[in-house]
Amino acid sequence: MNFVLIFLITIFSLSLFFYGRSKTKSISIEKNIKLKALPKFYGYYLVLWCSIPALVFLLVWSLFEPIIIKTIIIETAANQGAIFDDKNEANLIYEKIKAIHLGTYFGDIDLILKESALSYAKFINLFTNSKVVLIFGIIISSVIYALNKIKNNNKARDDVERILKGLLFVSSLIAILTTLGIIFSLLFESIKFFSVINVFDYLFGTNWSPQRAFVRDASSITAEEYEDLKDAFGFIPLIAGTSFIAFIAMLVAVPVGLFSGIYMAEYASSKVRKFSKPIIEILAGIPTVVYGFFAALTVGPFFRQFGESLGLTVSSESALAAGLIMGIMIIPYVSSLSDDVINSVPQSLRDGSYAVGATKSETIKQVVIPAALPGIIGSVLLAVSRAIGETMIVVMAAGLAANLTINPLESTTTITTQIVMILVGDQEFDSPKTQSAFALGLTLFIATLILNYIAQRAVKKYREKYD
Amino acid sequence: MNNIKIKSKNLNVYYGEKQALYDVNLDLNEKEVTALIGPSGCGKSTFIRCINRMNDVIDICKVTGNIEMDGIEINDKDLDVVSLRERVGMVFQKPNPFPKSIYDNVSYGPKIHGKGESKNELDEIVEHSLKKAALWEEVKDRLEEPGTSLSGGQQQRLCIARAISVNPEVILMDEPCSALDPIATAKIEELIDELKKTYTIVIVTHSMAQAVRVSQKTGFFHLGKLIEVGKTEKIFKNPDNKMTQDYITGRFG
Repeated sequence: MNFVLIFLITIFSLSLFFYGRSKTKSISIEKNIKLKALPKFYGYYLVLWCSIPALVFLLVWSLFEPIIIKTIIIETAANQGAIFDDKNEANLIYEKIKAIHLGTYFGDIDLILKESALSYAKFINLFTNSKVVLIFGIIISSVIYALNKIKNNNKARDDVERILKGLLFVSSLIAILTTLGIIFSLLFESIKFFSVINVFDYLFGTNWSPQRAFVRDASSITAEEYEDLKDAFGFIPLIAGTSFIAFIAMLVAVPVGLFSGIYMAEYASSKVRKFSKPIIEILAGIPTVVYGFFAALTVGPFFRQFGESLGLTVSSESALAAGLIMGIMIIPYVSSLSDDVINSVPQSLRDGSYAVGATKSETIKQVVIPAALPGIIGSVLLAVSRAIGETMIVVMAAGLAANLTINPLESTTTITTQIVMILVGDQEFDSPKTQSAFALGLTLFIATLILNYIAQRAVKKYREKYD
Repeated sequence: MNNIKIKSKNLNVYYGEKQALYDVNLDLNEKEVTALIGPSGCGKSTFIRCINRMNDVIDICKVTGNIEMDGIEINDKDLDVVSLRERVGMVFQKPNPFPKSIYDNVSYGPKIHGKGESKNELDEIVEHSLKKAALWEEVKDRLEEPGTSLSGGQQQRLCIARAISVNPEVILMDEPCSALDPIATAKIEELIDELKKTYTIVIVTHSMAQAVRVSQKTGFFHLGKLIEVGKTEKIFKNPDNKMTQDYITGRFG
């Protein structure tokens, strides 16, 4: 139904565009007056007035319709004698009624529910009909209003500008509000977690085993129980594992990425650049889950076999395999960003260096790289924050056990892996175990935020110097 | 009359399909300032970039013909370009100090050529070069500050000091004053006058007055051809060629 409505509104407003345009044109010719805007602006004006109020109304209606119907149905069911104690049971009954209405309920149907289902059908019908009527009413009245305005030769251009400005403003508002929403949802859940678990026990604990707190009501934990819980949520092994894997990744990504960036910017002929740059950038387009396969099925087992042939114990899910593949994933970020910064070092600096008799590699080492350094640091920091936030590869290849180790051949785990592990499947949302995921998310968010901030500052500082 | 330092014979330069210089025959005298004048795009800069092989940097550039310095062919692909550029310094149109300290800007050249083994020697080279570039008095107390913090005129003199630091025989100047104000320009010109006692100087300029003030010999380029060359006095007072006459009197260009 909604799609039909949207389709009709679109068709109607588009046809109004042509109508408005030709109408104003003919008016101006007939009455021999100068229009205050180009005819097409009158067309836009009609389109906007026809579509926006109707669409906004449709959106608001669709948001509130289910809630209103639900309240009414539950109330009538209660009046008819349906018994439920709390909200959850009420919800259950409502779902049953809906299922009966759709014919997908296969249990015993009692009389009250059957009647409710009938009234549900009635309400749905009523609401849909009134929705259609109201929307057409809105369209007709707003179009009449806009047509009146047009007849009076209003400043359609200014009005169109104003409406467009409003649309753009709303879009950016949505983006900003979403960010705030994410931050606050993280924050509130984390606060719940920290009201049970002491911040310091979390930040400095060296043991991570959240399964111990599996089913426990957070609101009624005794002091004894807390003693037990206290060392289940130690953050240290996770941040250690995360930093360790990110470190291995950077060991791969920084040299390879930087050197290939230098090659692309300084040595490669334009022919080579033209086909090799897109190939490197394909690396950035591979979904991380595919990298995960590669790490878990090819690289991990390879390391294990290779290690065993040397007499080493290598776990098949190792920090080394995960870090290595993550490093490969990050190479294109480092390489294309540093390629860009190196390219934006002015040619005059290179000329100055060549002119005193420096070779190409001396020039790169002593003039180009130092000049591009802030930008390169910025690109590396951005890559680090990607490495820290990367999830899929570590879930598939790094293992789940929170070992506090610096042996790259052992399995280890990261913040993101643990968040996934905690939230997979059905979860009790008031257990500290589930809430700890939000605390982890918040910590991760703050860490990458700081890294991004520093990176952007570094890049900006560099830009100021040469623009 | 001084000895001939650099001698070009039938020098042609191509940028891809486009020819930028046509059969240029030009002699540059030792310890003298030669000015190259002509409208934009006439090949003056291209010519001086042949002398230190800076055109190598441009992929599509091709040079044919001969250009000799002290009887040695510069345009020889087996020539050691690094040591050539050690002998032929260059100052560019826009001051281009490295984003390093003033000291490092000047010591950069000597360091990469292995001159100035000890810190003392290096200090001496830096002081000597800055003095020669008439910048020492202004910067001696702040050698650690970045070269980019200097004013435009000071930056250009820093670049001259950088060129001098490797003790070249020839200094090429590609419109060294075009980005500077008259006062800074006057300082650079004074400096050029001083430098010609030690170095052979080639200067590309758009300012007729500057050519008259600083040079002993002037060459006039037009559309990639060397139209006329001779003593500066003669070129500006009594040129042989009608085109030269028109250019210096401002009838075109």
